[in-house]
Amino acid sequence: MSNEKIVEIRKLSKTIGKKQIIKNLNLDLHKGEITGFLGPNGAGKTTTIRMMVGLMKPTHGDILIGGKSIRTDFEGSIEKVGVIVENPEMYKFMSGYKNLVHFARMHKGVTKARIDEVIQQVGMQNRIKEKVGSYSLGMRQRLGLAQALLNNPEFLILDEPTNGLDPAGIREFRMYLRKVARENDVAIFVSSHLLSEIELLCDRIAIIQNGELIDIKNVNEHQQSRYYIEAKPSEQAKQVLEEIGFTVHPHENGYLIDTEAEHIPGAIKLLTAAGVDLYAVQPHRTTLEDQFLEMTGGGEIAQAHTK
Amino acid sequence: MLKLIQNEWMKLWSKKATWIMATLLIVILLANAGITKWIESTSPAPEIGWQEMEEMNLMSAQDQLQNPDIGPAQQDYYEGQAAIAEYRLANDAEPFKVESLQQQVLDGHMMLSLVTLFTVIVGAGIVASEFSQGTIKMLLTRPVKRWKILTSKYITTMLFALLFAVITFASIALFSWIFFGIGDGAFLVWNGSEVVEGSYWAEALKLSVLSLASTWMIGTFAFMLGTVFRSSSLAIGVSIFLMFVGVQLVFLLQRFEIVKYYLFTHTDLTQFYTGFMPIPDITMAMSLIVLTVYFLVFMVISYWTFAKRDVTA
Ligand SMILES: Nc1ncnc2c1ncn2[C@@H]1O[C@H](COP(=O)(O)OP(=O)(O)OP(=O)(O)O)[C@@H](O)[C@H]1O
Ligand SMILES: [Mg+2]
Repeated sequence: MSNEKIVEIRKLSKTIGKKQIIKNLNLDLHKGEITGFLGPNGAGKTTTIRMMVGLMKPTHGDILIGGKSIRTDFEGSIEKVGVIVENPEMYKFMSGYKNLVHFARMHKGVTKARIDEVIQQVGMQNRIKEKVGSYSLGMRQRLGLAQALLNNPEFLILDEPTNGLDPAGIREFRMYLRKVARENDVAIFVSSHLLSEIELLCDRIAIIQNGELIDIKNVNEHQQSRYYIEAKPSEQAKQVLEEIGFTVHPHENGYLIDTEAEHIPGAIKLLTAAGVDLYAVQPHRTTLEDQFLEMTGGGEIAQAHTK
Repeated sequence: MLKLIQNEWMKLWSKKATWIMATLLIVILLANAGITKWIESTSPAPEIGWQEMEEMNLMSAQDQLQNPDIGPAQQDYYEGQAAIAEYRLANDAEPFKVESLQQQVLDGHMMLSLVTLFTVIVGAGIVASEFSQGTIKMLLTRPVKRWKILTSKYITTMLFALLFAVITFASIALFSWIFFGIGDGAFLVWNGSEVVEGSYWAEALKLSVLSLASTWMIGTFAFMLGTVFRSSSLAIGVSIFLMFVGVQLVFLLQRFEIVKYYLFTHTDLTQFYTGFMPIPDITMAMSLIVLTVYFLVFMVISYWTFAKRDVTA
């Protein structure tokens, strides 16, 4: 990972009508790094991505890709970008191959050999001469990935790319993206609803809500270590734990305590000495989903907008 | 730009609808030639010879020249007609029969309204279909400026019109050659001072180019509607409606000054060479200026909306 900045989003805002959909968004993306873009429905993920690829014009702010502004040098900035926005729609009346030829002609220096190489990479060589209309959703996704890779992008931007892929397909897709990011030093920006998916795929996560970036965090950042303890009678257990000096949070049928592993054996001894029966002692990991829901305040969709 | 046009051309001809239109065009022209042949073979031989016909032409041309309302273009036209008729009678120079390759080719420009119809369908759909298929987002996220993409689509529409015009003439020539063969007769033109023999191919070409001005304008109009409203059915509907009704409106507006700035007063440029002019006091130069202004307005609207639009499809 070279950590070289390739994309800079600067004070990005978008207003449609009177509604401010994106509010002053700032974000940097680095080479070789996969950044997840997470947010509840209607948070503004698709809108942000559409602005990043020139489908929508920002009301304020700018996006620099490879140092070139999307506003003043569109052709230059988008040159080395590969895009999948929602479902990749292809020309159904043409073969997969002709579709790729079509898009290849719109880039500089994409050769026939490169087209064949990309087809190999996404494993479509057997069906590429058939009409896209006859493809399954997963095959269309593969073709979508193929067209995004044609120009050897330095930056891949994907809006819900795993829509419609089966679990094996998702896994393969994830492996593939990781490989591209590592080997070709490509920066990848992925929006998704599948939190577990993002957690497995990404190095870094940007969380957006109501058009505002509320958090950027690294996935493998050291988490506060927590343990889950289930014991009976539970009132007594709580008392013992508090006496030791732990902060105790009720959780399911037991309690959560914030502590490091080395304090656990001592705690167990004290609990058994006090005559408490232990049913479970286990490390507690908060999933990204828990954190996400905690941060965005549950399942409500874009509250501010619907007010 | 060449590659973009190549792309559009490939997409156009990958659609079944395009091949159906081409087939339909050829079938209609074949049927037209066949029906003409059938009428000729079933109706009795004409009672009057070509000499009587020419005498009638001469008389009607002279009648028209007496009419104080005709414009300068019509004046020229009828003088030419009269001179040619006199020449034919004096020199025993027979005109082409209707059932001959030559006359069919000369009248071929009238068939170009079919080309207009198909061009409207293509022009209306070439941008709108990208939106309805959702492919527009794949197309616009390439390192190509939007105006270039729109230009390639416009040029493709016009190339399609040209190709169909060529197909029209090739079919007319082929079918009338098969059904009627090459007839006797001479093609005569009035060059302002004397009657001379001319090339009927050159004349057919001239009239076609003039007819294609209307294909061009209506095609551009449909292209604009398709680009602005992103709905090809709406664009086709409105364009074809105007194609038929627009010309009728010329007659309704006849008495008002505004008719001179009305698009459909000028779309038929062949009017300066066929004598039929609803508004006699317009000139070719005036028509060309009016058409150019309309063209520029249509183009500005198309480019402006296409370049500015936020794509959310
Ligand atoms: N053309 C538009 N006009 C008005 N409001 C719009 C328009 N497009 C999007 N919005 C609003 O902008 C907000 C953000 O939409 P966006 O599609 O970016 O959300 P998203 O994060 O991609 O959601 P999802 O997770 O459902 O895909 C939503 O509240 C939406 O209603
Ligand atoms: Mg979305």
